[in-house]
Amino acid sequence: MIGGKFIEGVGASTLRVAQEVGGIVVLTGQVLRALFPPRIDRRELFKNLYKMGNRSVPIVVLTAFFAGGLMTLQAGPFVKKLGATSLAGWGAGYAVLREIGPILIGLMFSGRVGANNTAELATMTVTEQLDGLRSLAIDPIRFLVVPRVIAMIVMLVALTILGDFVALVGSSVVAKAMLDIDFSTMYYSFVDNLTPADFLHGIYKSIAFGAAIAFSSCYFGVTVRGGAVGVGKAVNAAVVAAAVSIMLLDFFLTYLSSH
Amino acid sequence: MKFLRTRIERLGSGVLETGRAAVELWMVYVGTVAGLFRRGKNRPRGELARQMHAIGNKSLVFIIVTLGFIGMVMTYEACMQLSRITGDYSQVGSQFLRLIISDFGPTLAGLMLATRVGAGIAAEIGSMKVTEQIDALRMSGVLPIDYLIVPRFIASLVMTLMLSVIGATVMYTAGGLTAQYSFGVNPNLYFDISQIRPRHVILMVIKALSYGAAIPVVAGFCGLRARGSSEGVGWATTAAVIGGSFAVIILDFLISAAALFLTGGDL
Amino acid sequence: MTARAFVEWKDVTKAFGGKPVLKGMSLAVNKGEVMFIIGTSGVGKSVTIKHLIGLLRIDGGEIWFDGQRVDTLPERKLAPLRKRIGMVFQSSTLFDSMTLAENVALPLRKHQKLSWSASLDEARKRLEQVYMGEYSERYPAELSDGMRKRAAIARTLALGPEVVLFDEPTTGLDPVSARRVDRLIRELAEKLGVTAIVVSHDPPSIFGVADRVAFLYKGVVHVVATPAELKASEDPVVQQFIGGKSSGPMETPGF
Repeated sequence: MIGGKFIEGVGASTLRVAQEVGGIVVLTGQVLRALFPPRIDRRELFKNLYKMGNRSVPIVVLTAFFAGGLMTLQAGPFVKKLGATSLAGWGAGYAVLREIGPILIGLMFSGRVGANNTAELATMTVTEQLDGLRSLAIDPIRFLVVPRVIAMIVMLVALTILGDFVALVGSSVVAKAMLDIDFSTMYYSFVDNLTPADFLHGIYKSIAFGAAIAFSSCYFGVTVRGGAVGVGKAVNAAVVAAAVSIMLLDFFLTYLSSH
Repeated sequence: MKFLRTRIERLGSGVLETGRAAVELWMVYVGTVAGLFRRGKNRPRGELARQMHAIGNKSLVFIIVTLGFIGMVMTYEACMQLSRITGDYSQVGSQFLRLIISDFGPTLAGLMLATRVGAGIAAEIGSMKVTEQIDALRMSGVLPIDYLIVPRFIASLVMTLMLSVIGATVMYTAGGLTAQYSFGVNPNLYFDISQIRPRHVILMVIKALSYGAAIPVVAGFCGLRARGSSEGVGWATTAAVIGGSFAVIILDFLISAAALFLTGGDL
Repeated sequence: MTARAFVEWKDVTKAFGGKPVLKGMSLAVNKGEVMFIIGTSGVGKSVTIKHLIGLLRIDGGEIWFDGQRVDTLPERKLAPLRKRIGMVFQSSTLFDSMTLAENVALPLRKHQKLSWSASLDEARKRLEQVYMGEYSERYPAELSDGMRKRAAIARTLALGPEVVLFDEPTTGLDPVSARRVDRLIRELAEKLGVTAIVVSHDPPSIFGVADRVAFLYKGVVHVVATPAELKASEDPVVQQFIGGKSSGPMETPGF
């Protein structure tokens, strides 16, 4: 009896997830089709770039700084045990550039910009502003979604570059303060052990994460139902979907890049 | 000159607003902790169980999927680095377990829960606020914090700890499978708990409980501050996600730094 | 029917979640007339007009506009139709993030290939016409419902539509604002020859503005008549509706 109910529940949520993944794929197709010919509304694009960058720079800088510091803290015990201070920068830098940087910045970006974008689009949807656009013979996908998707991908890549740098500074500061490792030691540890490939690996990931955040946040924004309650639920669903896709993409990109 | 003055004025009002919000957040926290001892007589029956289900059971799959994949990635990256340098994988399992228990397990679970649970709580309470249900609660002599936040607070404390343990286990196991299949690491060598000291487990419990406390308080605070209609709820949900995630990162940093300091660097 | 009507619904059906709303509804609107669609809440008035521009899709029947069947057009091919048929929504649907002038300028910029500043100048002129010129740099959230409604009308008119659909244009407005909107609708028809299809249940509008009135009841058009005929009608359901009586032969689901 309980088993039956459980299986029913699993089946129902599987169906729902499949439906939502399908919806996101359809939206992706619509966006790609709207790119040919590429008549992007430049005003919307620049407005969104400015707004998204403006909103997320402080939180990304703070997060990156602490994330870099945390990586040094975690590397600390190894360094003490082995007495190899020259390895601190290698461990922290490698983790920051390839994994922690893109993931944490992506998650924060999803919470700040993605969630905000979902809320904005969802509010426009429930107040019929999307129908308003359609009634003016303006395609909401082309006018609203395409510039946002492009702006989010571009912004996340830019923020990841900035965040990587801040995180390395953060890990150096913490290394000095907590482990008494000189800035120059950290600097040479970064330069000697990290390659441009490590940095680029993180940037590739941020492109994919940006796309995942953009498509899920726009999808849940334009498909919202049911007033204020619906808007809250849409934002919730969007950030959860973005977090799951970031983790999945991270795995596949790491795996693919080494084969 | 005028430009500068408006800049300063804006900065000043921004600082004031932040200060006011901080005080409000603190009041919500104090009210919640006080509510724990008030023995909620006007709390609806079964509310705690319902919240535990909403926060715990409904996040289970989410936590397993996200932490499982990141566990795989982390082991993969670590083994890749080692294969470039020494090719000696004997330490991977034991050191990874130490890192998971003292940091990655609870912190990544906390970050994921700040997203899922924080957004859920803020959306729910925010919707109640803008539809004037919170005012209706006040009118019937019920403290909204007692009624709404306290059950979520308790449920979140318990469930964050449990999900951290589950998440850490999944992470470690997924990592072990990756190490075995991609790098041929012997499972007996990987699943090695000899490096774990009680202080690592204590650190995990402290971190999980701190995140578990912070997430519902931040989210509840954001929900109660919601104004207007659908934009207000959207704003509250967004603020809860970002506030909760940031709280997790800051707490992690502070607790990790304190632990490193207290153990003299030999964590 | 010999002379083809300008806009025509033929035997249209529509259900929401298995619940039928329109059950074979038919209506013909002539060029240049002001047609009111009236009826109780939830009877499918807004649904009817949203079908015309493809915001909703009908389940059965046909919709014709100017000799062309429109209900089967795919979303991509609806753009030319939507330039000829404008709609003023009940909630105005002005874009929150834009000033009134930017709102009105948007369709001009998008469809008439005007530059940003030229479209704004033109938008200000259009706002003057609905007596909103002095508010053109304000944001929708700062204005009253009546002001927003007039700006929304200006935005809809920006593309010079031949047909304008109004969804409850006077609902929620104070009586003075409501009569101003009524006057705007009448001016549209008389000065510009625009065909107006108005969804309403506001008696002063119905009897002040309409050329003809279609009374929607139980999913079909119960009666089409001039306002004077409607007043003189002896149909008990019509009498109950226009008299606003709580008891009578009318079946209103849910009450």
